[in-house]
Amino acid sequence: MLTFAAPAFLLAGALAMLVPLALHLIRRRPPGRVPLPTARFLAEDPRNAVRVSRPTDLPLLVLRMLLLLLVGAAFSRPAWIPAPEGTSTVVLLDRGGVVDADGWRAGLSAARQALLGPEGEARGELVLFDTGAVHVPRARVRPELFDSLLAAGPGRAPSDYAAALRAIPAATRALRGADSVTVRMISTLSSAGWSPGLGALRESAWPGSIQITRLPIARDTAAGDPPTSSRRAYVVAGEGGRFVSAALGALGYQVQVIPPTGLVAATDTTTPDSGAYFVLAQPDRSTAVELLSRTRRGAALIVASTAVVDSGAWSTMMPWDGPFAVRPNSAGGTMWLGADLRVGGAAGRVEGRTAEGARTVGAWDDGRPAATALRTRTGCTVYLGTALEGGDLPFQAEYPAMLGRLARGCESQDATTIDRPLDSGALQVLRGRGASSIAANRLGAAGGIAFGRWLLAAALLVALIETMLAYRRRAPR
Amino acid sequence: MTATAAFLPPHLLERIGGLDLIAKTIVRGFQSGIHRSPQHGSGEDFAKHRDYQQGDDVRYVDWKLFARTDRLYVREFEERSNLQCWLVMDTSASMDYADPGGVPKSRYAAYVAAALAHLMLGAGDAVGLAAFGAEPRLLLAPRSRRGHLHDLLMQLERMSPSGSGAAGAALDRVGGTMQRRGRVVLISDLLEEDDGSGLVTALARLRARGDEVIAMRVLTAAESGDRPPGAGLFFDPEQPQTELPATPDADAGYVRRVRAYYDGLADRLRERGVEYVPLTTSQPVEEALVAWVNARRG
Repeated sequence: MLTFAAPAFLLAGALAMLVPLALHLIRRRPPGRVPLPTARFLAEDPRNAVRVSRPTDLPLLVLRMLLLLLVGAAFSRPAWIPAPEGTSTVVLLDRGGVVDADGWRAGLSAARQALLGPEGEARGELVLFDTGAVHVPRARVRPELFDSLLAAGPGRAPSDYAAALRAIPAATRALRGADSVTVRMISTLSSAGWSPGLGALRESAWPGSIQITRLPIARDTAAGDPPTSSRRAYVVAGEGGRFVSAALGALGYQVQVIPPTGLVAATDTTTPDSGAYFVLAQPDRSTAVELLSRTRRGAALIVASTAVVDSGAWSTMMPWDGPFAVRPNSAGGTMWLGADLRVGGAAGRVEGRTAEGARTVGAWDDGRPAATALRTRTGCTVYLGTALEGGDLPFQAEYPAMLGRLARGCESQDATTIDRPLDSGALQVLRGRGASSIAANRLGAAGGIAFGRWLLAAALLVALIETMLAYRRRAPR
Repeated sequence: MTATAAFLPPHLLERIGGLDLIAKTIVRGFQSGIHRSPQHGSGEDFAKHRDYQQGDDVRYVDWKLFARTDRLYVREFEERSNLQCWLVMDTSASMDYADPGGVPKSRYAAYVAAALAHLMLGAGDAVGLAAFGAEPRLLLAPRSRRGHLHDLLMQLERMSPSGSGAAGAALDRVGGTMQRRGRVVLISDLLEEDDGSGLVTALARLRARGDEVIAMRVLTAAESGDRPPGAGLFFDPEQPQTELPATPDADAGYVRRVRAYYDGLADRLRERGVEYVPLTTSQPVEEALVAWVNARRG
């Protein structure tokens, strides 16, 4: 198969052919003065006042057009690939922690479709990446590989796109025999994978554009929720709960508001373990017992500055050492839930400490704990030392992120980092510009026969013949 | 090989050498091409004796007769020729025109004039030379002596076409110098500003005097319409300021108009007893002269 590393030059050469053609055909010039003693017998021919040149020098015209075409073809760096294979693909598959199970399945399916032929044979190269990149040997790119990857699930490490980009040159060089190569990245493309200097690395890693297949970013999954379960949130509130519901809805939760009494009647008892319970108002005793029961079975319980019911179990389940109510006239301030999440404007706070065995999820400006978390056997209990609704903490843009961070309060700090999609600028940098399909011989990957130099030699020969012919035409006879 | 096949094309004549050699070559070809006639030979034809008178040239005294008779007699001879010939050459700017690869009309006219001079001087005629271009000029008075041919050829070599002039004035001046019957050969492209009326009148005037008048028209193939040129911005060399965009090779009217002009001119000349000889520069000079002479002899 014939390939061109820089086909634009071939196109330019073909277009340049039109220039001598146009000059030979449509160049208009005033006719030369010719003496003729019998001019008195001539009839005026106005059409001849401006003469249209005719292509009288057809051999010269053909030589000039051929010369331009040969030069263009030579600079397009053509190569003949003896074994045509069409376009091959390098797939960069994200197996980082931000990929959830659904995304992982979708990503594997896309990779499989791009890499395997109808007979299950490999048509490209597979690179798996998270913090590092692994170039899977081509012999191993079989249907069985994808089955095993699906069974293994995604990794837990964060994704690093720099690692993926660094693996591209080696993967493309491995595509010997292909006439052109494309690169496809299958990833969540979350902000966590971005690193400074990625733009420069992107330019050097791949000259064309990268095809992007975007996977959904793993949403804030409450601790204990099976990855495949649907996310549900229950807001226990006497009044209000409206803002919390809206914020959770923005996070993708199916939200149900439950009164502080009657939890069992209000919720589906068959699926009690999935979901997070946001308690904004003091529940009655039966509700409190049921909440604790569900927490032990895997649900997440997030309690926001709510008076504790008279239950020993309830108080021992809370990761908080101290009172549970907002102290009047207490200083509120700004609450930090990680280095990148700050929630300000709290009117009051609960003064207390992190219980033994629990961990601090959020802190006030003065370093005192603002939110704590305690992992139970399969679930998680989180206590927030300020009221979510009712005046202590006004609704603001950080509300959803804060709720997501609280719902995952028992997870490690790395895993609970809230990911956001790459902004359009970063995405554009990663995608790049230019053609998505790059000739393999341009990448040094093809093993074909390059004959650009021969075309250049032919162009020189044509130029020589053209010069001799033109000189002969113009020499006085 | 036919006789005409041996004629040299005009563009090759130039390679022979000077105009004297060219004239001899043309005459040789011409003489081999015409129908043979008895050669009368050269030499002085004795007529009669008469008594010597004071002032007679002593070279013509018959000394043998003086020895026998003791009286001085001078010999009188018949004139070898009683014909005065004038070659009237057109040296206007239009005569400088040449077809691509061909000889200029002025040069072709010089070949013809040289050959005619050679022939006429060989026959004992006195040959003079006149020209008209920028102005009418009588260059050489008719002579028949030896060495006159050289002077004629030198003058022909020096001719350089320029200017614009009418033949009528030159012909009138030639007519004014002729004391007796003679022959006038006009060699020109006959392109006159007044459609040839003045030319025809002047030639007719000469003819009315009893002179033999021959008008040799010299044209190139491009001018005559045999090979008209392609498209261009044309101008008359004698009126260079006037230009005309035209396409002669695609204009059938051009050939028609040229032929109509010269046919009309030839008719008017023949009506007045003037011999009209059309020549083209692509035609060998000897061939043209042979055809002309043979046509005269019938």
